[in-house]
Amino acid sequence: MAKATKDPEQNETRHLQKFVDVTGKRVLEIGCGEGRLTWRYAAASLLTVGLDPKQDALRVASIDRSSDLTDKVHFVNTHAETIPFHKETFDIAILAWSL
Amino acid sequence: MVHALGEIHRVLVPDGILIDLRPLCDNWRIEVFSARETRETGHVTDLPLGLEDDETANQAMANAESNGWFARESETFFPLHYVWDTASDMEKWIDEEWTNFIGLDEEPRRATRSAWALGDADSRVRVRAKMLIARWRKMGF
Repeated sequence: MAKATKDPEQNETRHLQKFVDVTGKRVLEIGCGEGRLTWRYAAASLLTVGLDPKQDALRVASIDRSSDLTDKVHFVNTHAETIPFHKETFDIAILAWSL
Repeated sequence: MVHALGEIHRVLVPDGILIDLRPLCDNWRIEVFSARETRETGHVTDLPLGLEDDETANQAMANAESNGWFARESETFFPLHYVWDTASDMEKWIDEEWTNFIGLDEEPRRATRSAWALGDADSRVRVRAKMLIARWRKMGF
């Protein structure tokens, strides 16, 4: 498998920060995969939940989660059509390459 | 997809924010670059399935807007680079990872191989993807 470096300039992070301030917010990321984008903003959030239907990707994300984010960042193996949370749980939802 | 947007609407607080972040097909440019220079060697080719996906996603957001679920507040486009050490790595990636979405014709394939082989020692290859980011506000309850 060839290896690609994605977004070395971090344009994506810069634009995400320009479009939304996650500080102290409850964030739902749909299509978090291995957490590539998650790690770029989650530390500032109050709570981040990443959803993805791919169990293998979530396993990698969980392994990569640093110890200081254990209480703050959680991953759920599900599709966006069935989000297992009560209504009005999140302040921000991010469709990460998943629409 | 519309059902997913309905679910997102449900779990967002009133006035909550939805960010739609995704790549868009646009016959992305291929470049061989080094510290000294950048050379454009062609474009990838948008394939019907990729274009169809974009259209489906755009339509889903348009439906969510007409349903009164979300209102668009802002939107912009920006470049995102995929970078490979060699032309061969780029070809393998496009053939294996972007199958059915993005193609690579023989001409840009040859031009990129040649530019990389004849380029500086630190030459690498990149594709400049077009990204969309849009901010939507939840409407109603």
